[in-house]
Amino acid sequence: MTEPTPGHPEPAPEPAEPPRPTGRAALRAALWPPRASRGQLVAAVLLFVLGLGLAIQVRAAGSEDTALRGARPEDLVRILSDLEDRSARLEDEKSTLEDQRTELENSSDQAEEARRQSEERERQLGVLAGTVAAEGPGITLRVDDPTGAVTADMLLDAVQELRAAGAEALQINGVRVVASTSFVDHNGGVHVDDERIRAPFVVDAIGRPQDLEPALNIPGGVVQSLENKQATVAVTRPETVTVDALRSAEQPDYAQSSS
Amino acid sequence: MIAVLGLVLGVVIGVVTRPVVPTGMEPYLPIAVVAALDAVFGGLRATLDGVFDDKVFVVSFLSNVVVAALIVFLGDKLGVGAQLSTGVVVVLGIRIFSNAAAIRRHVFGA
Repeated sequence: MTEPTPGHPEPAPEPAEPPRPTGRAALRAALWPPRASRGQLVAAVLLFVLGLGLAIQVRAAGSEDTALRGARPEDLVRILSDLEDRSARLEDEKSTLEDQRTELENSSDQAEEARRQSEERERQLGVLAGTVAAEGPGITLRVDDPTGAVTADMLLDAVQELRAAGAEALQINGVRVVASTSFVDHNGGVHVDDERIRAPFVVDAIGRPQDLEPALNIPGGVVQSLENKQATVAVTRPETVTVDALRSAEQPDYAQSSS
Repeated sequence: MIAVLGLVLGVVIGVVTRPVVPTGMEPYLPIAVVAALDAVFGGLRATLDGVFDDKVFVVSFLSNVVVAALIVFLGDKLGVGAQLSTGVVVVLGIRIFSNAAAIRRHVFGA
């Protein structure tokens, strides 16, 4: 504290400070009424600049295409290398997926081939099992039996002879002959698979005609032994032989496929 | 009041006219805006303290903007532009917060 210098009048006691306006009152006073003082005008100009900058910056930050324009070189380099990494990754992924696609296409081709083969096989087995009709070259054996002397074993001989000669599908009077077909003499008639058949007996056989016909005609063979019983035998070679008698496929009760 | 009108007018004009900022200026604009905000909060606090002086306000406003831009420019030249920008924003943010606290005490008495 400095002593008041002599000779100088005591500084007049400061007038009592007016009570400081509260913050809210000061704010209100600053806002209203508008005063066109120099301070206000200067502040207005600077705030105008601030508002302008604010708006520009908000717009620039919000828009996508200008986001890169203001970026620094090192940021741009980073973004670029990120993009390159990303594109390399996507390229890898693409080639992986293409490989996968090729693989799948190949496997679907293979599946198609396997399906085709199994269909083919099903048809072949169907012909053997008698579940599908068949047609092709072959012979027709017609046996007229006026005396009723033809018995089941003679027909069975004929069928076996034809089979041995390579007949692939056989039917007798509309009954398909398969592996399990039975020939039985019953009440003076012939039953094939429990179905009575009567003369004339007509055997349709699909196979190589050049093999089938001699097999029947060999000396002491089927034709001769039938003719010895006063039966009339005729072997013809039609253009196509149709074997259209069917057997229903039976599920075996006990035998299961072991493969 | 006229000052507030100036702010509103600036925002409106900025939105309506869509001015294009020179490319070289673009990195400095956000920093300059934050620095100006700091000056404005300081001015508002001074007003409430009853010590507002337009000359001080003008000088602090302009020097804030210039110094902030200069720091960022220097950082860019030194290769640490991004870090310095962050630093400047942090410092200015702290100042804005402390000014805002003072203003709050004036206006709400708490």
